[in-house]
Amino acid sequence: MLGKLLKYEIPALGRKLIPLYIAWLVASVLLGFAVGETVAKPEIFVVISALIYSMVTAAVVVMAVILVVQRYRQSLLGDEGYFNMVLPVTSLEHIANKTISALIWVVISVVAAALSGLLIALSSGALSFRELFSMDMWAEILKGLDLGGVAISIEFIILALLSAAKSILAIYAALTIGHQVSRRVWLASIGAYIGFMICESFVGWVAMLISGNMESLMMNGPFASQSFMAISFATTILLGAAYFFLCNYFIGKRLNLD
Amino acid sequence: MARIEIEHLTKMFGSRIALEDVSLSLEKGQIVGLLGPNGSGKTTLIKTLNGLLTPTHGSVRINDMTPGVETKKRVAYLPDRTALPEHMTTLQLMELYADFFADFDRQKAEAMAEDLGIDFNQTLKKMSKGTKEKLQLILVMARKADVYLLDEPIGGVDPATRDYILKTIISNYNEDAVVVISTHLISDIESVLDDVVFIKDGKLVLHKTAEQIREEDGKSVDQLFREVFRC
Repeated sequence: MLGKLLKYEIPALGRKLIPLYIAWLVASVLLGFAVGETVAKPEIFVVISALIYSMVTAAVVVMAVILVVQRYRQSLLGDEGYFNMVLPVTSLEHIANKTISALIWVVISVVAAALSGLLIALSSGALSFRELFSMDMWAEILKGLDLGGVAISIEFIILALLSAAKSILAIYAALTIGHQVSRRVWLASIGAYIGFMICESFVGWVAMLISGNMESLMMNGPFASQSFMAISFATTILLGAAYFFLCNYFIGKRLNLD
Repeated sequence: MARIEIEHLTKMFGSRIALEDVSLSLEKGQIVGLLGPNGSGKTTLIKTLNGLLTPTHGSVRINDMTPGVETKKRVAYLPDRTALPEHMTTLQLMELYADFFADFDRQKAEAMAEDLGIDFNQTLKKMSKGTKEKLQLILVMARKADVYLLDEPIGGVDPATRDYILKTIISNYNEDAVVVISTHLISDIESVLDDVVFIKDGKLVLHKTAEQIREEDGKSVDQLFREVFRC
């Protein structure tokens, strides 16, 4: 049933995000053209282009966060919950569906951000199409990033995805707990979220202290130590699992759609 | 085995009691009227049967199972509000139902939608309130479920549509199923009811067959309702 849920959830999020991504990419081309030095342009054109780009970028970020919150609340805890929560689907599948589809759109947002940067560089003339397809440039970029090798880079990408999933689940857990009170639902949700963030800081601090990584972190930075990565993986998975459990418990065993 | 078995069910919202010690058993092969004024606990009872509310005390069982994935496969529920995604068209909603409910009869749904002149390509958002209600009912009644829970199915529609809806309910339900209709519009549905449940201030005050009411009390269900719930 998870596949069927995803079939409807991913397009439902995309319906609102895709037009924004298109606007973002158009604004990128416009900005690149404005800041490029190939053709002389009035300064006001540069200012307006930069303003449009900033506004669209902010809109994409804000809209993505709002949608993650709104889709979960509306379709599981709001009016649409009266349909979704009577589907023959487990609460676990419902939460997995929301998390996976939000994560997919987070990844698409990162790809769109990279595309935006590329379009600015191309349309401004800072980068040519020939350079874009030259292996030398990509080798240079990878060297510049210098994350300490392929293995570390893959670890970093997986950790970033897990962190994103954990952050999404923290929002879902806060919304679910907030929904348990009959009044001031939003206030309770925000309170729960702040509580989670305090817990996260505490868990991170304790994990660093116990593993003796605090000193290494201070001295060498976050990617210098393999054990630091291991601790980061462990705490992210632990916290993510805790948020998932909270959502699953309250949706599965303590649901009260008012 | 009763299709629906409710034992000492109490539901509280904070300190407010919505349902108090309700016990009820409903067998298959009947249309049951869950009758009571607004705020009497009808919707709370139906939502608890669907697993949308967690009982404070007591238990509910459908086909001898507590509400969960297995009961949801066998229960067709019409909520008292528009619960379907508003951006979807009639056709997309039919596909959605077919995807999730193995007992959904798409041909039957399409025939009923055609009868009522519902546009297959119109999104729910663009439909009138009455059309939305009709479409929701069609999707629910096109399932071959064991239990139909219909919360105020005739509340917001015109009399002609009301007749069509009642006709739809009678002609689509099967002898193996139980249909529970919650409403306060008694006179409109009285003729289709086999069984009657009165609920007042969260308490079950009467459970009789419609025939018993007519023979033993010498009244119509509507008359008895007015008597019991007189302000």
